[in-house]
Amino acid sequence: MPKKKRKKEAPELPILESKNWLIYLLYVHRDYEECKAVIKEQLQESHGLCEYAVYVQALIFRLEGKIQESLELFQTCSILNPRSADNLKQVARSLFLLGKHKAAIEVYSEAAKLDEKDWEISHNLGVCYMHLKHFNKAQDQLNNALELNRHDLTYMMLGKIHLLEGEVDKAIEVYKKAVEFSPENTDLLTTLGLLYLQRGDYQKAFEHLGNALTYDPTNYKATLAAGSMMQVHGDHDVALSKYRVVASAAPESPPLWNNIGMCFFGKKKYVAAISCLKRANYLAPFDWKILYNLGLVHLTMQQYASAFHFLSAAISLQPKMGELYMLLAVALTNLEDMENAKRSYEQAVALDKCNPLVNLNYAILLYNQGDKQGALCQYQEMEKKVSMVKESSALDFDPEMVEVAQKMGAALQVGESLVWTKPSKESKSKQRAPAGKASSTQQPLGSNQALGQAMSSAAGYGKTLQLPPGAGAAAKPPSLPLEPEPGPDTSPEVPAEAEEQSKSREAGD
Amino acid sequence: MEKPIYRPVLKMCKISYLKAAWSLKTRALTEMVYVDEIDMDEEGIAEMILDENAIAQVARPGTSLKLPGTSQGGGPSPAVRPVTQSGRPITGFVRPSTQGGRPSTMEQAMKTPRTALTARPITSASGRYIRLGTASMITNPDGPFINLSRLNLSKYAQKPKLAKALFEYIFHHENDVKNALDLAALATEHAQFKDWWWKVQIGKCYYRLGLYREAEKQYKSALKQQDMVDTILYLAKVYLRLDQPLTALNLFKQGLDRFPGEVTLICGIARIYEEMNNISSAADYYKDVLKQDNTHVEAIACIGSNHFYSDQPEIALRFYRRLLQMGVYNCQLFNNLGLCCFYAQQYDMTLSSFERALFLAENEEETADVWYNLGHVAVGIGDLNLAYQCFKLTLVNNNNYAEAYNNLAVLEMRKGRVEQARVLLQTASSLAPHLYEPHYNFAILSEKVGDLQRSFTAAQKSEEAFPGHVDTKQLIKQLKQHFTML
Repeated sequence: MPKKKRKKEAPELPILESKNWLIYLLYVHRDYEECKAVIKEQLQESHGLCEYAVYVQALIFRLEGKIQESLELFQTCSILNPRSADNLKQVARSLFLLGKHKAAIEVYSEAAKLDEKDWEISHNLGVCYMHLKHFNKAQDQLNNALELNRHDLTYMMLGKIHLLEGEVDKAIEVYKKAVEFSPENTDLLTTLGLLYLQRGDYQKAFEHLGNALTYDPTNYKATLAAGSMMQVHGDHDVALSKYRVVASAAPESPPLWNNIGMCFFGKKKYVAAISCLKRANYLAPFDWKILYNLGLVHLTMQQYASAFHFLSAAISLQPKMGELYMLLAVALTNLEDMENAKRSYEQAVALDKCNPLVNLNYAILLYNQGDKQGALCQYQEMEKKVSMVKESSALDFDPEMVEVAQKMGAALQVGESLVWTKPSKESKSKQRAPAGKASSTQQPLGSNQALGQAMSSAAGYGKTLQLPPGAGAAAKPPSLPLEPEPGPDTSPEVPAEAEEQSKSREAGD
Repeated sequence: MEKPIYRPVLKMCKISYLKAAWSLKTRALTEMVYVDEIDMDEEGIAEMILDENAIAQVARPGTSLKLPGTSQGGGPSPAVRPVTQSGRPITGFVRPSTQGGRPSTMEQAMKTPRTALTARPITSASGRYIRLGTASMITNPDGPFINLSRLNLSKYAQKPKLAKALFEYIFHHENDVKNALDLAALATEHAQFKDWWWKVQIGKCYYRLGLYREAEKQYKSALKQQDMVDTILYLAKVYLRLDQPLTALNLFKQGLDRFPGEVTLICGIARIYEEMNNISSAADYYKDVLKQDNTHVEAIACIGSNHFYSDQPEIALRFYRRLLQMGVYNCQLFNNLGLCCFYAQQYDMTLSSFERALFLAENEEETADVWYNLGHVAVGIGDLNLAYQCFKLTLVNNNNYAEAYNNLAVLEMRKGRVEQARVLLQTASSLAPHLYEPHYNFAILSEKVGDLQRSFTAAQKSEEAFPGHVDTKQLIKQLKQHFTML
């Protein structure tokens, strides 16, 4: 009997991995239905011991978004073959996708013991550490991964960590290397362009964004950034035609509508500007930039009540910005609330460090109130800022602002300032308007949309632009008291990763 | 001794008066509960799911009322205009027959809030007719005026004057469709099928009983006899119930040839276009209605809400103010006025309108609506604490207000309280699976935390609710990249 048995057994012994080639072929052809059927068959034959079938089944589950199931199957795999670094890597990957970063790190470390020369392990460890906010460890791991094998994604992550830590220069270095390594990756090009933009290096920013647009002409981020750069330089028509390209792809994007609104504002089409901005505001009620721009446009339209409304809303969302208080004060001045206007100016002066307009406007208000002493004080403060800014960069001040300042200087009978060459000989009777103008300058990274920041995706770091003060103070013809005419301002934004969606709703009647 | 003599005389008097008084009393009783049959169109759950009258199961886009996503464009997207159920934008005017989408399964129909699909809480079958009948009996302390089972219908059918009053009584007051149909059948026979009125009534009875094709036959034959606006409207109702909006449109247009400028017909066309999500054509026809009748509440309200959601709150404000001028005085109007004032930057009238709306609110749902909108005003002025309180008050008044849950979650998120936000978003998405915002916000939140599986499921739901949403698409693309990468 035993003899007989042995004879029978030998041919029946199933070959566990006999159909692996077929499974692989179907999987690679993305014929998942067929693939699943073969896997099922194979598993039945082998009583669940075919490692490769389980492995591919888990991969398919992961593709379908069923991470939990795929994790269980990968665990089965690593039980079947505990010496395989691949299986451990996949278990850790599933843990990572489930958001269990600590557990993922542990498993990756296990895997690293089995295979020390794998860039993926180092890379993924770096990403996990980044999620746990251990930036130093993350940097080490990512650099390690780069040494083993250079990869776009690793560069991206490394750059992101530098940005999270606030080191823009280091991030630029990383991205530069990345672009050298793979010059056709539009994501890298766009990000690098945005970083240059943030630093005010327009030439290079334009170059990189242009490259990105050559490879992908409808890239939303790059188009928006390129458009905003054109806007800064006054090419509103060109910018609008850029925006038109993406408007059909992203018809409900608040930053896009904001920028379009500011284009119209630059072209002095104020009503169109307001309707674009209001659409943007409807879509993103928490975005202070849109509110700021709305306030500005309404100041220009001399609708002070609305301007006050939008500016005060912007202030409550972004309380740390001097220019907002200055504009609010201009609105208050025109609403004949001098007490609050003064307070608002004081707040603005306290918060602002480098925009001379704030002080100039305050000086004008004080002067109009008859407080010559205070006006003089603010005027000198302004001169300090002007000379400081002059030293640091070669920016041109808006000629109108210079003119008003000169008149003011004359009125205050200050000795001709060192700052401006030619004093004007305007008589005292000439009152100038508060120069209401500003531009959105440096916001810290990510302040763009507080909520956007909170909810922004892992890939996105807050992107905002630093723009030079495109300030224009406007002087009105003499004898017209207190008429602010804000000059052109643009505060374009680059796309934010996420915006909250909240809608207004009408009750059915 | 005199008494016995009087009695017979009196009795004779009574008998001779009987028919006039009897008919008058029937009419009076009928008029007390009379509701125009044209506007009475309620589908219960059973009619919506178990009833298969539509011929085409998978109709071409733009030819059916059952596929909400058949918009030909032109209307505002869900990112701008709120939706009722998967893709049908909320309308400006709620009629008893207003439907906001259909549930696809019985289970889903039982789970969704009862007012989500029709203007009133839905019932299992159209039970309202029965309830109307019973309600009228309670008001009559002596019991029913006429005992239907004891009537000899064939006798009454001989006398057309009595029969018509009696039929209306049976149909509208007693809601006894079967007896009404018997009477109508006998009467129309007596009239030798030459009276269109009886044909229409028979059609009404068939329609109530769910025999739509038979009803269609009766209406058509009535139309051949006599052109009447009413008959056209009834026939169109049949076609809508059979899910043939294009036939109904044709019928209305033929009707307009015979009755040029008839308001109810134009309005009917506009309603069909609105149901098919073709907002721009609907608005055109509503404007035609206003050219004929510039006090038409439905047309004004629909055009007004249309303007509001297409970035023209100033014009919407004018339309709603027109309603106010006409003496409409209710919570919803002031609510809408407040919103329009705020978005049109008429700040002096905003809050007083909302105050009045709160004062006029008749139930807690309406109060909740007003608080919800006040929350939006608070967000608009940047006062997030006030907004928080407003949304909380919304929930106090109406515990199932999914939009308020969503917005509260957004506010919580701004404060950095992730867990609260997550719970609120989950509540919102379970209450209103047709809103894409809670799904999308939840997806973003989970993605941020790193839980990509939940993020993916939520993003998929969001895409289902609003297929054209750009950010959702980007998110899904990004997640899929994560999943494919080794």
